[in-house]
Amino acid sequence: MPTETPRQDPRLEPGSFRDPESRVFYAGDDVLRTLSADGLRDFEALASTSFYERFMQDGRLVKTELARSTPDLPPGLIKESAGVLRHERIPFVSYPYEWPFSMLKDAALLQLDLLLAALEEDMILKDSSPYNVQFKGSKPVFVDLGSFERLRDGEPWVGYRQFCMLYLYPLLLQAVKDVSYHPFLRGAIDGITPAQMRGLVSGRDRTRKGFYLNVFLHSKLEERHGDRGGEVKSEVKKAGFKKELIVANVKRMRKTVQRLEWSPPQGVWVAYGERNSYSDDDAKRKDEYVREVVTSEEWGLTWDIGANNGRYSRIAAEGSRNVLAVDADPGPIELLYRSLRDEGDEQILTLTMNLADPSPGLGWRGRERKALPERGSPDLVLALALIHHVTIAANVPVAEFVDWLASLDTSLVIEFPTREDPMVKKLLAPKREGLHPDYERENFERVLSGLFDVERRERSSSGTRLLYFARPKGSGSPIDLAAPEH
Amino acid sequence: MELAYLDPGSGSMILQILAGGFAALAVTARLYWGRILTFLRIRKPEDEVVRANEQADSA
Repeated sequence: MPTETPRQDPRLEPGSFRDPESRVFYAGDDVLRTLSADGLRDFEALASTSFYERFMQDGRLVKTELARSTPDLPPGLIKESAGVLRHERIPFVSYPYEWPFSMLKDAALLQLDLLLAALEEDMILKDSSPYNVQFKGSKPVFVDLGSFERLRDGEPWVGYRQFCMLYLYPLLLQAVKDVSYHPFLRGAIDGITPAQMRGLVSGRDRTRKGFYLNVFLHSKLEERHGDRGGEVKSEVKKAGFKKELIVANVKRMRKTVQRLEWSPPQGVWVAYGERNSYSDDDAKRKDEYVREVVTSEEWGLTWDIGANNGRYSRIAAEGSRNVLAVDADPGPIELLYRSLRDEGDEQILTLTMNLADPSPGLGWRGRERKALPERGSPDLVLALALIHHVTIAANVPVAEFVDWLASLDTSLVIEFPTREDPMVKKLLAPKREGLHPDYERENFERVLSGLFDVERRERSSSGTRLLYFARPKGSGSPIDLAAPEH
Repeated sequence: MELAYLDPGSGSMILQILAGGFAALAVTARLYWGRILTFLRIRKPEDEVVRANEQADSA
C-alpha cells in the first residue's frame, strides 16, 4: 500500500552501487530503494506475479511498498529515479563470512527457490549474491527486490558463476573438505573463483556429487574460453538458450546443495548439551542475575559476546527486542542456529566471529560491507566468561578490552573470573610467569569504574567469579567498589 | 545480447549448455531404457508413460 515518505537527509547505502537500475538509500529511519525506468518496469512485472505475494506473506521476501510521493533523492545517482520502494528494516545486518554452515545453506536454498518460482512466471534473478539475503533471527529474508528482472529470450542463468563462487564452493569446502569458508569469503568480496576452487580440491573429488561439472569442468572451460567473452555471448545468443535449460540446471543445483551437510565435531555436541543442563548453584545464580538485569527494563538490541550455546542469549531475549549471539567457535553457533530455526525464532541472530579479529569494512573504499559496530550499537552487552579468553588467550590488555566495550556506549553485564578460577589457571598455565600482571581483580575494577558507572557487583558462591552490571559513564548511579562486598 | 550488470562468464555459459545437454541426455537415456524394459516385457507400457512424465517434471 502506498504511503507518505518523510523528507529527511537522504544518503546512499555505500554497499549498493553495483546495479545502477536499483540503489538503496536511507532517509531518517527509512530504508528506501530508487529504481530506474527499466528497474521500475521489472518491479511492476514482479509485483504482478503470484509468487511475489506468496513469498512476501510468509516473510521470505522483505516487506516492501511503493512510496506514494517522490521523496528527496540522495546525490550521486547515475540513473534517473522512476520510482521509490520502501523496505522493512532488518534488525541487524550480517554477512556470509559470519554465518555458520546451515545459515549459508538456507540462504542458498532460498535463493534457488526464489529463482525457480520466478522462472515459472518468466522472470529471473539477475545475480546470486548471499549479500542479498539477511536474517531476522533464524529466518532468512531475501532483501534485494531489484535483483528480479523479466526473462529475456536466449539469456543464460547469468548468476550461475556467482552462485558457485559465493554459495556452492564455500558450502562444498565446509561439507566435503571440512575447511571453514569464512576466511575465504571475508578475504574476497566476490568469493572463490572456479580456478581457485579447482586448486583447493584433489583429483579424487572428481567423482563426488557436484564437483565434476561445477568445479572441474567449470574451471577448465573458464581457462579455455575466458578471453572469448563477446564471441561466446553471440554464439550463445544464436544457439538460443531455452528456459527449460535454466530450470534443469537450477533444479540440479538445488539437489546438490540440499544434499550437503556439515556437523561440528562430537565434542561440541557433548558440550552443547551439558551447558544447557548444568545446574550447580553458581550457574543458577548467574541465570538469575542476567535475568534480573535484562528484564529490569526494555532493551532494544542486546549483544551476547562469547555466546557459546546461547544460554544467556535466550535469557536476554526475554527483555530485548533483538539479540545478537556471537561466538568465535562456529560449532556451538551452528547448533544454536539449528535449534532456533526449529523453534521458528525471529529474535536471536547467530553469528560466528573472533572478537580479537572482528569483521572489518570490506569492498570498495572499505565501505561495501561494514564493521560490526557500524551496523548498529547495542543497548546492552553481555560479556560472560569472555574476558579471560580475550585478555589471556589473545593477549589483549584488560584496559584495552574494557575501553573497546566503553566505545560501544552500552550498558554492560560482565563476568570476571579471578586468577584462582580453574579456567583462568588453565589459560595461564602455558604462559610465562608474569606475562599478564594486569589480569587482577583490583586493576579490572579500577579500569571498569573509570569508564563505566558500575551499579552492581556480586561474587559467585564458589568465590572465583564476579558479576558486574554497569552503565555508560555519567548515566548510572555508581556503587563504591572499594566498600566490602555484600 | 544485452546482459545485466554482472558478467555471466564465457566458460560458465558454455558449462550451462553442456550441463543442460547432460540433463537432456539423461532424460532421453532413461526414456529409452524404459522402452527397452517394456519391449522385454519387464515393465508394462503404462508405467513408461507415468515415469517419463515424472522424469520430465524432475529434469
